[in-house]
Amino acid sequence: MAAVRTSSEIGFNRVAIVAVLLVTIIFLAPIYWIASTAFKPRNLATTIPPTVVFQPEISPFVKLFTKRSQLRSPPTPEEYAAAPWWERVVFDGGEKIVRDGKGQVQWSGYPSRFLNSLIIAITSTVLAVGMGTFTAYGFSRFKVKGEADLLFFILSTRMLPPVVVAIPMFLMYRAVGLNDTHVGLIILYTAFNLSFSVWLMKGFMDEIPKEYEEAALVDGYTRMEAFFKIVLPEAATGIAATAVFCFITAWNEYAFALIMTNRRAQTAPPFIPSQVGSGLPDWTVIAAGTFLFLLPVAIFTFLLRNHLLRGMSFGAIRK
Amino acid sequence: MTQIELRGVQKFFGAVQVIKDLNLKISDNEFIVLLGQSGCGKTTTLRAIAGLETIDEGDILIDGKPVQHLKAADRDIAMVFQSFSLYPHMSVYENIAFPLRATRKSKAEIDSEVRSVAKTLQITDLLGKKPSALSGGDMQRVAIGRALVRRPKAMLMDEPIGALDAKLREEMRAEIKRLHIKQGSTTIYVTHDQIEAMSLADRIVIMHEGVLQQVGSPDEVYSRPANLFVAQFVGSPVMNVADAAVAENAASASVTVGDATTSFEFPRALLSKLNGHAGGQLALGIRPEGVLIRREAADGFMAVETQIVEPLGSFDIVDLKVGSNMLRARTKSGFISGPGEKVFARIDPTQAHFFDKASGKSLEVRL
Repeated sequence: MAAVRTSSEIGFNRVAIVAVLLVTIIFLAPIYWIASTAFKPRNLATTIPPTVVFQPEISPFVKLFTKRSQLRSPPTPEEYAAAPWWERVVFDGGEKIVRDGKGQVQWSGYPSRFLNSLIIAITSTVLAVGMGTFTAYGFSRFKVKGEADLLFFILSTRMLPPVVVAIPMFLMYRAVGLNDTHVGLIILYTAFNLSFSVWLMKGFMDEIPKEYEEAALVDGYTRMEAFFKIVLPEAATGIAATAVFCFITAWNEYAFALIMTNRRAQTAPPFIPSQVGSGLPDWTVIAAGTFLFLLPVAIFTFLLRNHLLRGMSFGAIRK
Repeated sequence: MTQIELRGVQKFFGAVQVIKDLNLKISDNEFIVLLGQSGCGKTTTLRAIAGLETIDEGDILIDGKPVQHLKAADRDIAMVFQSFSLYPHMSVYENIAFPLRATRKSKAEIDSEVRSVAKTLQITDLLGKKPSALSGGDMQRVAIGRALVRRPKAMLMDEPIGALDAKLREEMRAEIKRLHIKQGSTTIYVTHDQIEAMSLADRIVIMHEGVLQQVGSPDEVYSRPANLFVAQFVGSPVMNVADAAVAENAASASVTVGDATTSFEFPRALLSKLNGHAGGQLALGIRPEGVLIRREAADGFMAVETQIVEPLGSFDIVDLKVGSNMLRARTKSGFISGPGEKVFARIDPTQAHFFDKASGKSLEVRL
């Protein structure tokens, strides 16, 4: 049977659609801005009024990945003809790619920073979610003495803006030699995400009926086996949601990365703004770096979107 | 061949004692129903036997061996939960195969056993489905299949059909009984529904506040309740219970219910069978079918007035006013047309129960 809708309902619907579109545009505008700037020629990046229609080019990305220096004089036609296409776009911008004595192209700092970001964010996410899941399971299923106090204590680590402890942390890290190391940032991000992970996972664990494990226990499995075979698959949604949040936090973290690292373990967020190009800031390169930096989170979230949607509404309704 | 024995089992939750000195022997192939209200300790008892709950004192013996220190996995017992507890991320096939995968059976063996159980329960066409796609009855069949597949020493069922609707419950009840007759395994079944208990059990174990009240066949607990609790818990409609005073007449005994001005006539033998309790505080229990009604006055019948009539289809339940008490009688449908009718009632002495009011215990009077 078709539902009958009144004209006022239809009107409200239209207004709602317009409002949703507007909000979407407002949220997506900066993303569009970054993405479009990443494909602009350098001279169009800062025009006023902004250039909307342009011939997209790949040069910002070439520049992002290579070490460059300013050309004193334009390249000779032979040099230009001999250069591969990706080197020509750099020549066109008035720069040249730096090569070592053997003629090998020198990479910029971006790829290693990007890799650092991946290593640190993924490892700390795995650790925080893994430990959080076990801890939450313990709190959820066993009588723990002083459970409420312990949980509050765990949460209390989030009650301070993290930057407040940046200086003491820096001094401590320097004392034990964790400055500018992957392990250092991994520990930091894991510790930071752990309380969040425990609380979120506790909510999910509480939602999984105890009877599932009990059935497995009676069916001949140990508690550990029951945990891995029954509880973990059931908690997948919660784990995915928690992992996305932990990953985003670790991936986007700026302040500690800026203070604690400078080269070896530096992540992308503090590196990208330092990429000012030769001479004036090259906004197209910064935009290209930012654009690539957005991709992993976007992909990760996209892949887990079904889990995430369920995860967000999970636990909202008590049976 | 599995016998289960509980010896002096005690269980505390904090300061609350939920099982009080429970002793019970369950023989091979027996279908035992633990019956009681919620919170009476029946589920805790079942979980203790399964190994999901520890006990504070006593022994649980399976085939003569104490198992109270064994993990659930090592007791070789299967359990069906009220919530079915089918693993949602596994197909029906995987759910049934799950207990077998804990053993060292080969894939082919597991497959043939899963299929044979599925065939017994007529769920072969469901094997590929996920539990969320099943109806309540099918979920229950799968849960039973998962319990049966391992051929456990005993089956424990915790209100396995409590979550189903009334019609399905009746069907599944019959199915469980049929299955038990066919498979014949020692079964302990927990329920608060006395109809389920009566229809399924070889023996019913009635519990109240952690204490075992009576163990007996359905007929025994119905017709010879050991105390007032059992008398009122088993049977529907509920047994009439009222204070009673017994007096001696020339040729008979008379039983006055509550503050009624007239009394019911009983055989004189009642006095001797009450064995000295006649003068004490007594409670008379009589099931509605033990209250006989007729329209004309007759010897031994007392004039009473009808109050409300509850037509229940195959019979009616009529409330009769006896003093300030209400006596519920079972009559043919339509025998009494409505409230305010004058009829004559008598208590069938052979169906009367006398209890000591203070202890609640039956005085075992059989007339």
